[in-house]
Amino acid sequence: MEFLPWLILLSPLASAACILLFAHRSKALSVTLSLAAVLTAFGATVALLAAGSQTVASSVTWINLGPALHLTIGLKVDALTRVMLLVVTGIGALVHIYSTVYMAEDEGKSRFFGSLSLFMFSMLGIVLADSLTMIFIFWELVGVSSFLLIGHWFTKESAAKAANKAFLTNRIGDFGFMSGILLVWAATGAVGFDAVQQNMAKLTANPALLTLAALCLFCGAVGKSAQVPLHVWLPDAMEGPTPVSALIHAATMVAAGVYMLARLFFLFAPSPDALTVIAAIGVVTALLAALMATQQDDIKRILAYSTLSQLGFMVAAIGCQAPGSAMFHLFTHAFFKALLFLGAGAVIHGLHHEQNIWKMGGLRKTMPKTFLTFAIGTLALTGAPFLAGFFSKDAILLAAYNKGPLFFFPLLLSAVLTAFYMTRLVVVAFFGEAYHPTGHGHSKDHGHDGPAAMTVPLLILAALSVIAGYGFFAEPIFGHDLFHTAHSLATFSAAGVLEYVDAPHVALVPMLAVGAFVLGTLGAWMLYSGKAKDPVRIPLFANRFYIDEAYAALIAGSQEMLASVSDWVDRYLIDGVLVRGIAGLTWGTGYALRLLQLGNIQGYAFIFGAGVVVLLFLLNK
Amino acid sequence: MFAPITLEILVLVLGFALLLAESFSNAPSKRALPKIALFVLAWVFAFSFFTAPAPDTVEPGSFWNFYSASPISMMFKRIALLTTMGVLVMSLDYESTLAKFIPSSRPGAGTGEFYILPLFTCAGLMLMASATDLVMAFAALELVTISFYVQVAYMRSNSASLEAGIKYLILGALSTGFFVYGLTWVFGLTGETHFDKVALKLAALENSDTAILFALLLVLVGLGFKVAAVPFQSWVPDVYQGAPTPVTAFLSVGSKAAGFLLLLRVLEPFLGVSSIQPKVLAVLGTMAGATLIYGNLAALPQNNLKRLLAYSSIGHAGYLLLAVASVGATVTGFGAVGTTIGFYLFAYLLMTVLGFLVLTAVSTQTKGEEIQHFNGLSKRSPFLAFALLVAMSSLAGVPLTAGFYGKFLVFAHAVNAQLWVLVGLGVVTVGAGFYYYLRVVAAMYWYEPTDTAPIHVSSLSKAVMALLVVCIFVFGVNPRPILSALQGAPAKVAAAH
Repeated sequence: MEFLPWLILLSPLASAACILLFAHRSKALSVTLSLAAVLTAFGATVALLAAGSQTVASSVTWINLGPALHLTIGLKVDALTRVMLLVVTGIGALVHIYSTVYMAEDEGKSRFFGSLSLFMFSMLGIVLADSLTMIFIFWELVGVSSFLLIGHWFTKESAAKAANKAFLTNRIGDFGFMSGILLVWAATGAVGFDAVQQNMAKLTANPALLTLAALCLFCGAVGKSAQVPLHVWLPDAMEGPTPVSALIHAATMVAAGVYMLARLFFLFAPSPDALTVIAAIGVVTALLAALMATQQDDIKRILAYSTLSQLGFMVAAIGCQAPGSAMFHLFTHAFFKALLFLGAGAVIHGLHHEQNIWKMGGLRKTMPKTFLTFAIGTLALTGAPFLAGFFSKDAILLAAYNKGPLFFFPLLLSAVLTAFYMTRLVVVAFFGEAYHPTGHGHSKDHGHDGPAAMTVPLLILAALSVIAGYGFFAEPIFGHDLFHTAHSLATFSAAGVLEYVDAPHVALVPMLAVGAFVLGTLGAWMLYSGKAKDPVRIPLFANRFYIDEAYAALIAGSQEMLASVSDWVDRYLIDGVLVRGIAGLTWGTGYALRLLQLGNIQGYAFIFGAGVVVLLFLLNK
Repeated sequence: MFAPITLEILVLVLGFALLLAESFSNAPSKRALPKIALFVLAWVFAFSFFTAPAPDTVEPGSFWNFYSASPISMMFKRIALLTTMGVLVMSLDYESTLAKFIPSSRPGAGTGEFYILPLFTCAGLMLMASATDLVMAFAALELVTISFYVQVAYMRSNSASLEAGIKYLILGALSTGFFVYGLTWVFGLTGETHFDKVALKLAALENSDTAILFALLLVLVGLGFKVAAVPFQSWVPDVYQGAPTPVTAFLSVGSKAAGFLLLLRVLEPFLGVSSIQPKVLAVLGTMAGATLIYGNLAALPQNNLKRLLAYSSIGHAGYLLLAVASVGATVTGFGAVGTTIGFYLFAYLLMTVLGFLVLTAVSTQTKGEEIQHFNGLSKRSPFLAFALLVAMSSLAGVPLTAGFYGKFLVFAHAVNAQLWVLVGLGVVTVGAGFYYYLRVVAAMYWYEPTDTAPIHVSSLSKAVMALLVVCIFVFGVNPRPILSALQGAPAKVAAAH
């Protein structure tokens, strides 16, 4: 049993190494290796799930410098890990299959699949890690592989810039994360999750330190899960190939932050201040991102902002002391958001890389399968009753309700907006008349469904988007305990629809949630149905609250100035005075010493004799 | 199991046999000679691992009193053997240049002894490594020195080689004079020639500090010349540049190794005299500092690679002297410093022989030894360029090369002895070293070649170079095998307790 986690972790690494070192000349071999690795990992995950719900742990010593520094490479599989394993390997497998078609014509296909395997390895490392040091290492590896994948088309300037932006923004968060790890390490003397938990008393004894450490750790999640104010990288990351967006920027990498928060919840729980900050950041992200999404025209960007908003929901759930609900939403969201991205990819693929929703229209006739699955994904995301997203979002809303109205109502508004912008997307892209540049008539080729390797993943994900919220599906994966921490707050789990109805506020929340769905959907439908261009223009939302511009100005003002000062110091003081000065002096001495080399032997013998005299003098001094 | 002295006897017999064979053979090519020598030396090297261990105590009055086979002696013997083999490989590549400067009726005639003389040098070096008696040490030293005189001046019609030979001969004779005079003073003071007995007698002498210091001064002058320490270094640049390249490599490694081993042996009795110890260490420190500055700084403006390596050789003598000057602080005295010097010399052997092998290969085809002749070598022969890169990096002391550990150990001793000024000087001069060593690397990798013809290297040289590169990395990552070989088998130490 212990070998299964290692198999899951190492098979993508083996594939990545083989592809990037040896097999990259053969595209077919690279694809086969990568697929084999991800399917192995998925199979091992299923076997692990089938084996029961006990915790599996296994570790080997890595660095042993006495009790002060004993690092292990260890894996731990518990309920939380199982959920993430299934999400990562399951969606990973579907995305790999889908990519074989989507990237069929790509020059860098081998590189793409190699990077994809590297990403799978890194992400599975985060999921399986049993210590802060391990999670940090894989955290950074995820950053690297995400950089490679976003910048896959690196000859496109926007893609190269987006990759840099994602990496650098993440590094800011990672710096906080590392500080947090070091603080925890210093305070508890441990890095293993279990060891830290056992030594929590040392941290809780100093509430200020605890809050500081918790907030530093949270910085890591802010970066990786793209929360305000480090959210700017995620929309730009859509420059990467669409399967990458589906896998990394919807289902897995961005979920890593939430997973980390849930994993380390025992560290956050004793600090109410830290929890409030986390909840506030989550709520602000959810609302701002939803507002931005309402005014985007690029199909992938809408989904990107939607992802931001949903990640805000999850982080808010952590802050509202409901990590189970956060994980539940992460789980359901992974399916329908991956579905939506892959659906968007199918549309983009069918329309020859057209991404503007106003240039689509009428796709429900030309791409029926894509439309059907996309619609199911939309309904699941917007919280239509009895689909996956409804249950999980409801659980979060309830947690926020318990935390206080300041957290609940913005989230509720975000839910309305979610329904609004998603309906807008569907109405504009799939309904109405097909777009034609001249304004009337049909273009010859206005989309078509992809081949089976594209549509089958869509259909599977659509089915999962329907059932993922129900107890019969989710409970075996979450395990009894974790599932009920998620659902004891929720109402409409299939198992317990009626259980909580008599509690008035518990019934109120789902009713408001359904109301939000209806309001948002109807509003968007009425506003956008039959429109050929956007009837509302809100530049503030369309321009993302000018946050990117503000950052650019801030960086230009502070960093560039600092850089020019450093440049001056380096150029004139360090290089000029210190380096060249010392070098010149040394060189001059060397040149002078060379003159001692007279070349005639009398001179040498004289120096020799003089040396003897000097030594004699020194010895008898 | 062999008696250790079998090794020296084998080398000497090989030398005589080859001399005789050369005299009576009519074969036009002499290339068989170094090949036979290489083959036999490789076997001698292998035998050196199967010699009987040295007896712990030497019976008084025994014939073998002059000879010791301690682990460090065995290690120095191996260094001598490996260096000689490297020099013979180089000589094979150097044949064409050599033949050009030897007037003879047939091309190639008269080159035979060039391949045989290194064997006698080698035998001298090996005997010196085992010498525990002043007379034996002197005889071995002279065997080395005199065979070097011939080798340096071997290219009879090349004025540079002749000039180098004359300079080396005259200055060498001068230094030998000082050295022998020093030995007579030692004998006069103690009436003994065996190092252990000399040490006992010296320590027991009273009110003779001036006489002891004078004897030491004379010995230091002689050995300072051998190891190229300032102020007795003036011969080095001219002789290194003028001598045939393989001989330069031999001088650089062999002469230095012999000199330092003898220096350690001779100094030990003197440092046992506690009243003069601080003074001796101060003088050694001063010499070390001056040697470091002179060797490393004067190397900066050099444009001829051979001359640059000559100055670099002086610089390395400075680091080794720094280790010797730190001896006062170590608990185990010469044991630890001896290990450091042994390792440093072993690393120095690897990188210097590698550097000179590349230099020989390149200069025989580019007809020049200036740094500019190495421009764009990476394009002409990536292998040679990489090998020289490794040699230069190791000489400069880049981590993960054997040269780094050598310097590391030296600095560790100096820090231990709290010689802060010398440590500071060492750091600065290592910085200067990086500059002039990497200049060669820059020429190879960044400058355009003037001639793009690929450079041919014989497969034997190539194999030796590859082996040296591997060794530099292996012992740069894990120096333990060499260090434990120098300290002797740990099992023996355990048994002693």
